[in-house]
Amino acid sequence: MNQADVSKLMSQLRIAVRPTKRNLKNPDGPEGRLLKLRKTVTALVKHERIELYYNRADEARGYAELLISNAIRHGDRHKATMELADYWLLEKQLVHKLFKVLVPRYENSNVSYTRMFKAPRDYPGMYYRKSVLELRGNPYPVLTPDNSQNRNLLHNVLLDEARKEFRREKLANLANKLAAETENATASTTATPAQAPVTETQTEQSKQAEEAPKA
Amino acid sequence: MAAATKLLKKSLVGISQIQQYRNIAKSAISASNGHRNELFNQERRRQQDAVGRLEKIEVRYLGLPEDVTLVMNNNISTPFNCAQHLSEGHCKRSALALIDGSVPWDMHRPLQESCTLQLLNFNVSDPHLVNKAFWRTCSFMLGAALQRVFKQEANLQLHSFPGPNIKSGSFVHDIVLGVQNWEPTKAEMRAISAEMVKLAAQDLCIERLEVDLDLATEMFKDLRYKSEQIPSIAQQHQNRVTLYRLGDHIDISRGPMVASTRFLGKCTVLAAHKLANEGASDAFYRVQGVALPAGFALNHFAYGLLEQRAQKLNPARLPNEPFEEQRQMQLS
Repeated sequence: MNQADVSKLMSQLRIAVRPTKRNLKNPDGPEGRLLKLRKTVTALVKHERIELYYNRADEARGYAELLISNAIRHGDRHKATMELADYWLLEKQLVHKLFKVLVPRYENSNVSYTRMFKAPRDYPGMYYRKSVLELRGNPYPVLTPDNSQNRNLLHNVLLDEARKEFRREKLANLANKLAAETENATASTTATPAQAPVTETQTEQSKQAEEAPKA
Repeated sequence: MAAATKLLKKSLVGISQIQQYRNIAKSAISASNGHRNELFNQERRRQQDAVGRLEKIEVRYLGLPEDVTLVMNNNISTPFNCAQHLSEGHCKRSALALIDGSVPWDMHRPLQESCTLQLLNFNVSDPHLVNKAFWRTCSFMLGAALQRVFKQEANLQLHSFPGPNIKSGSFVHDIVLGVQNWEPTKAEMRAISAEMVKLAAQDLCIERLEVDLDLATEMFKDLRYKSEQIPSIAQQHQNRVTLYRLGDHIDISRGPMVASTRFLGKCTVLAAHKLANEGASDAFYRVQGVALPAGFALNHFAYGLLEQRAQKLNPARLPNEPFEEQRQMQLS
């Protein structure tokens, strides 16, 4: 009953997180692993698009998301958030970038702040999977092909024709409706007014409508 | 655990029973189909043997990564072989070849003279030739899927498919069934769609073979509608008939088609409209569906709009119209 709503206490991540932990090995132990992740998060904030091994990128992504969402949530007057930013960003000028550039950029966004793509790996080479990690809204050209512009692509041809047919049907319906209305109007003018009082008003309306374009 | 294994075994037994039943039912069909495939194989081998002394041709490849000249074997090397010299990516991605900048050419059809070569995929700037070939392949695959799905009791006979028209919103295959009042349910349509998806997953190579009139008549002598169509087709193409094969399904088509069934991505077979009665107990049906090439992601709402449109009867020429007009249709 009186339990606190967890989502109000801490930010909800907008990415899918692996349910089990990743045993990223490092000769320096857990600190070494964290230092590596800190370097990755710093590089991500600095360069906005980085290419690296998949596991490291996926692990660092969650921390970057958390950092940005906390920064948006609490602002730069919050001690804990400032400490967090100080910890994850090794280059201290990036703390300014976080609060002055990234927070305004993502304030009103309702999707994740980062994107991750699988990248091809060199052959022959290290067999680790590679990936590209980037901040949304970065200034570089997009990585995914844009299939919406070329109207000759098969799905675009199909969609365009479907749209044309929809409009054609709509116009035909409209024309039928108008034809029916004018028929009604002519029928009611020939009929005696006592018979159909409702249609009389209609005929008046249609007369007005006919007169309107002349005026 | 024990209960689960019991269930599984039982279901396995059920499946094998169904398969046996199917095999018995289809033995008659498969006999004539096997004969046709045998003739197809023999003729292909004969044509390969008839090449004789190897002659070299120069194929000028235009495109990425760079323009190169390849020295290939006349009447043996195909555009696919040229792609093999370029990269694995070219082999996988290319759906159709373009000869001398204008003639669409199947990926697995031997080249006949020195020429320039371009390899087309679905993402080129003007893909209308590939799209057309894809749509035709969809119709052809639909025929193969129908052949696999129907039992022998249904008396399915494939009639033909009209030329590809993407703007009509659906690809079409006209069939004759032994029932006059078939109203397909959603589940039945889904079963046919599933068969299409299975064909795509099998990654079957689509083979092309040109045969002469006599052989074509011999191959299709069991199929009434095909043997009716063959003379007029042959008359228009110097007594030659172009055949396509997918797995063990052989059909007549002008071509070209895409290289493999792999290129079929999202696919739905949506409707079977009854066109007319045929004879005492048969009837013409027009089966139609909509598909996208593999690798094209379209959100389900937009795809739903395409599906809705594909349900309406396709206005292409009907199979039961007079024969003279039919000939035009057969050119597809």
